[in-house]
Amino acid sequence: MAEPQGPFAGAVMEDVFGLAAGWVQENLLIPLLYGLGLMRWEDIAFGWALFAVYGACQVVVTFAVCLPLEHWRPVERWPNNNAVWVDALYTAISRIGVLPLVTFVLFYRLQVATNGYLADHGWVPPTLERLFPALLGQQILTFALYAIVLDFAEYWRHWLAHRFRWWWALHSLHHAQRQMTFWSDDRNHILDDLIAFVWFSAIALAIGVPPLQFPLLVLVLRFLESLSHANVRLSFGSIGDRLLISPRFHRAHHGIKAAGVRSCNYGAVLPWWDILFGTADFAHDYAPTGDPSGEEALATGSYWQQQGAGLRRFIRSFSATATPRRIG
Amino acid sequence: MRRVYFRRTAMRWAVFLLPILLLAPHARAAGVAFVIDSGAAAISVVDMATLQEVRRIPVLREPHHLVPSPDGKSLLVGDTAGNEMLFLDPATGAIQKRMPIADPYQLGFSPDGKFLTVAGLARNQIDVYDAASMKLLKRFPVKSTPSHVAYSPDSATAFVTLQDTDRLVAIDLRKLEEKWNQPVGKTPAGVLWLNGKVLVADMGTDYVAQVDPADGRVVAKIVTGKGAHNLFLSPDRKILWVNNRAGGTTAAVDPTTLKVLRTYAIPGGPDDIDFAPDGKLWITRRWAEKVAVLDPATGNYQTVAVGRSPHGLWLNPKAPSPAR
Repeated sequence: MAEPQGPFAGAVMEDVFGLAAGWVQENLLIPLLYGLGLMRWEDIAFGWALFAVYGACQVVVTFAVCLPLEHWRPVERWPNNNAVWVDALYTAISRIGVLPLVTFVLFYRLQVATNGYLADHGWVPPTLERLFPALLGQQILTFALYAIVLDFAEYWRHWLAHRFRWWWALHSLHHAQRQMTFWSDDRNHILDDLIAFVWFSAIALAIGVPPLQFPLLVLVLRFLESLSHANVRLSFGSIGDRLLISPRFHRAHHGIKAAGVRSCNYGAVLPWWDILFGTADFAHDYAPTGDPSGEEALATGSYWQQQGAGLRRFIRSFSATATPRRIG
Repeated sequence: MRRVYFRRTAMRWAVFLLPILLLAPHARAAGVAFVIDSGAAAISVVDMATLQEVRRIPVLREPHHLVPSPDGKSLLVGDTAGNEMLFLDPATGAIQKRMPIADPYQLGFSPDGKFLTVAGLARNQIDVYDAASMKLLKRFPVKSTPSHVAYSPDSATAFVTLQDTDRLVAIDLRKLEEKWNQPVGKTPAGVLWLNGKVLVADMGTDYVAQVDPADGRVVAKIVTGKGAHNLFLSPDRKILWVNNRAGGTTAAVDPTTLKVLRTYAIPGGPDDIDFAPDGKLWITRRWAEKVAVLDPATGNYQTVAVGRSPHGLWLNPKAPSPAR
């Protein structure tokens, strides 16, 4: 059998993250785990350290890129931006804290159980590398292909989140923000996050995304998603906007006229799916954002007030009188 | 007269050459080292002469351990999350074949070469295979996280540590049934047969437990360092080496008296060890993306940069230097 030879693609990038995670593991986590008698968690701890390092780097990069952009050409200026700080809290929880740990542990266990069961029955689950062996060792190319497939899945998840009344009730928390900035990407109801995790995991399992590649994949995509929420007058041009989702394109999705069960520009990173399925709108220009139909707490409440308001709306959505609404 | 002259000349040469011989750098072992990069889904191929990684063999997902086949014709690598076993040429690393196997984490052949025991850490199972046919003889569901494997010298019993339930299980390979399953410490990891006893490295504490193979009773505890993780006997059987994960040390232990002779600082999560013919120890450092090549005489070590989370390693000093 011919042996696939892989270049060290991505090795340098891995080194920085891996060595930083190693430092966290050796100097912070292991002394803690050993002291608490929890050394059985040391492998999981290293996985979390990788997630946390990826997340922290990604927040720093997002901040360094988006903040100057928002100061340079803001779409809106506000007398105070208190509502934005809650969004920053969402980001910290979502990208560095508990959620990455849970995501990693759950996804890993799920993948092991599913794929192991299938392997027991003599069937090795499909992966892109098995279908196309030339991809083995081609980390950047493989990474890009996985990203495209996952972005396609994300388009449909988002489309469905707007179509179902109960799902929109949860997702409306994301749309309620009238002071939309690059922090707003992570302001989601926790149940909406849970559904997104199940969705993403199911797709990732089906196409065989490697667990240790999973965080990098998610975080690169999430950086681009953060950028698309930025409060900045920025377009990638008539061609660029059709290749990658710009702040201008995504703002049309967050416009008050697009809040509801029918919207436009559902894509997360690539606008290709909106163009392909007729949901793209390149005409709207930097509309005000928000969801006028929701409780005020969804827009300006504290973290827990927002979660509570989202849950109430979710429960109300099952009552007979609730009807799907469309604005505009 | 001539004899005296010859003797004096020889003495002069000896005086001249001795310092040069003593000061000359030790000759490096030739050959190839295979290092499993668990977090990089790859196997690093390292030139033992230059201590340089020359290439990587990509695998599907998450390999951890490797073992040569009893006939020496293959090197088996378990890819846990990829659910497959790879068979490599032990000299070149060329892939000979792939076999679907559920969660092959740790693996080891019995001393008589008849059995292959595979610990499935994530799936809580121990699989015993017929080594010649690779037919699964029996699966033992266990609680939980079976992590390391050892055998009695007569190949009658396999011992597997159960990391998350603090136990050691003994499997009768003749009857293919569980002999005993006993608590031995706190997060047991590495396991080794030594002088009629089973030694278990206890990662949750700072000792190696000495276990009676007849009933699993702990008969002694040998303090080696924080987070005792794995243990290996040198090829000449003169030193027992213990890697202490949390303390970042490697301890040299007298295998007869079980006294610690010396402790070496090996930071970065020391894990697996293999022994080079020049007397040096190759030690994977899980969180440092490096292999330490330790000279036990001086306590100094050189480093080999490899991929993320290096775990299992195996040296083939007889192989030619690997090609890029």
